[in-house]
Amino acid sequence: MYAYDAYDRTVVDARVAEFRDQVERRVKGDLSEEEFRPIRLMNGLYLQLHAYMLRVAVPYGTLSGDQMRKLAHIARRYDKGYGHFTTRQNIQFNWPKLSETPDILAELADVEMHAIQTSGNCIRNVTSDQFAGATADEVTDPRPYAELLRQWSSFHPEFSFLPRKFKFAITGAATDRAAVKWHDIGLIIKENDKGEIGFEVLVGGGMGRTPVIGKTIREFLPEKDFLSYMEAILRVYNEQGRRDNKYKARIKILVEALGADEYARQTEAEWEKIKDTTIDVPAEEVARIKSFFTPPPLEVLPEQVQSVDDFASKNFLFAAWLQNNTNAHKVSGHVNVTISLKPHGGIPGDATAEQMDLVAALADEYSQSEIRVSHEQNLILPHVTLKDLPSIWTDLDEAGLGTANVGLLTDMIVCPGLDYCALANARSIPIAQAITKRFDDMKRLQDIGPLKVKMSGCINSCGHHHAGHIGILGVDRKGEEMYQILLGGSGAEDASKAGILGPGFDEHGIVDALEKVVAVYLGEREEGEEFLSTYRRIGAQVFKEAVYDTA
Amino acid sequence: MAKKIKGPQMILANQLDDGRAVFFTRDGRWSADTSLAAYGEDSALDTLLAKAAKSAANNLVVDPEAIGAIVDNNRAYPAHIKHAMQAKGPSVRADLGYQTGFDWETK
Repeated sequence: MYAYDAYDRTVVDARVAEFRDQVERRVKGDLSEEEFRPIRLMNGLYLQLHAYMLRVAVPYGTLSGDQMRKLAHIARRYDKGYGHFTTRQNIQFNWPKLSETPDILAELADVEMHAIQTSGNCIRNVTSDQFAGATADEVTDPRPYAELLRQWSSFHPEFSFLPRKFKFAITGAATDRAAVKWHDIGLIIKENDKGEIGFEVLVGGGMGRTPVIGKTIREFLPEKDFLSYMEAILRVYNEQGRRDNKYKARIKILVEALGADEYARQTEAEWEKIKDTTIDVPAEEVARIKSFFTPPPLEVLPEQVQSVDDFASKNFLFAAWLQNNTNAHKVSGHVNVTISLKPHGGIPGDATAEQMDLVAALADEYSQSEIRVSHEQNLILPHVTLKDLPSIWTDLDEAGLGTANVGLLTDMIVCPGLDYCALANARSIPIAQAITKRFDDMKRLQDIGPLKVKMSGCINSCGHHHAGHIGILGVDRKGEEMYQILLGGSGAEDASKAGILGPGFDEHGIVDALEKVVAVYLGEREEGEEFLSTYRRIGAQVFKEAVYDTA
Repeated sequence: MAKKIKGPQMILANQLDDGRAVFFTRDGRWSADTSLAAYGEDSALDTLLAKAAKSAANNLVVDPEAIGAIVDNNRAYPAHIKHAMQAKGPSVRADLGYQTGFDWETK
């Protein structure tokens, strides 16, 4: 993992001291709320429906055991005993007091964490593949480049007041687990014929009220030109992005207005001016950053362990967990374990302080003290030895973290919705809970197979509903919560935008509608065919007729 | 420009220190308890807003706003679900916070 140097530490400590002073001035009345609001937002502090909310950055979703323990401590000491993991691989605390936030930030700084640039019209936390550095299907670990982006974008003077917020995602794998095509800039690491590393660069993706899939403006950007090219893209956006209308201010609107070819042309023209200056870091610095992400020394072990198979043969839930919640590691005899934060009846993405402590302890014991947060709001223990799986699952299950539903219907991305969020129009969490109750049977879930349901409580799309195989969008209809159903989206390498099926439903009707959609799929699917493939083959009409009973 | 609300209204704000959603009360304080909330319309509402603005200026609360109210038996309830949510707390964590005395199924 990356470790702060003296410069990082000085910068973060200075920001904590500065914010402490700003909070004191606000409490004394020397700063008005109008003056203070942009300051607190720059430090990740929102004012939500019931309380302040502090969003803490988890750079590219990588955490150490010590960092997770600190998050548990903060949840316990300053909050109400839990936190919420988000689709930007961050964590949010829902109940901090304003006067205590400087202390929280100081505690975070002790473990090399902060809340800088988790809000505001700046470059936000860079997200990445949760299995980065631990999966066989990647060209290379994307995290050194994510770290370069983090350093380059932190306090970048030119890009601290962009027309609107700006989100990067980067993956090193052909299988896209980071939804890169849905980001302002998406980066896919590739290797050319000469064995050189480079990046496919996509711009103008985004969700929100205008969902757009990013467009490739460069097929292969050489590694050495990485930051200067990013700077050129951002400069074109910063100069021409709309500032007159916040709903039209994201880069996707500019890319659509200019056309991707013209955006690429302007980027290349800008880049020509800056590419051989001092923006790109020397190869030695890239190597230094890469050295923080050296793969752990794992012993090559057999792919099968009899004791694990025996345990699975006696325990259906463990067997299901083994199938759904673990995936191959690049070193034989190891897996990545995905800990579902979607217990049936629970709150998607939430973890208690005790659960966080347990995950930290398991990471220390079994996964090189490393933890990942996925954009699908789960936690990952990378680098786990196969033989340890029964013990890990037993501990997780006792703590309510053993749900075997990763990748299945109930492993939903769900935003906090109107239960917490000041922007929301409708509640998301109770709908998710009702869905998990309806689909509580693991054998049924297994039979339905891989299915991504994603839900947002408003059009801002924090729950990625446009990218769901099945999306659910909460809307406000004359003061009543209603829910639209969308079908056919994908956040993966075959990215597609889900389409609204028809009129919305109330909170009960939406669960029935979802069940009808699933029933159509089960009736129509061909051997081995997953939901999205069936939908793409047969189209929306069959689903529509079933859901609205119009056949 | 905010949509004009018709009928009785109450004043909702967040406390400065903990962000708690609070209502301006009939005796000029702020409380999470809607049974104490003042309400009014027209000139009576203007008076309430002026008093509430003074509280904000005195650094007690943040962003006081008039919200639509339903009045029943001389008691005001937030009309819109978002404000009702603020009065009651998260529906999915009824065990938490100052809202625990509220029944989620009631007004």
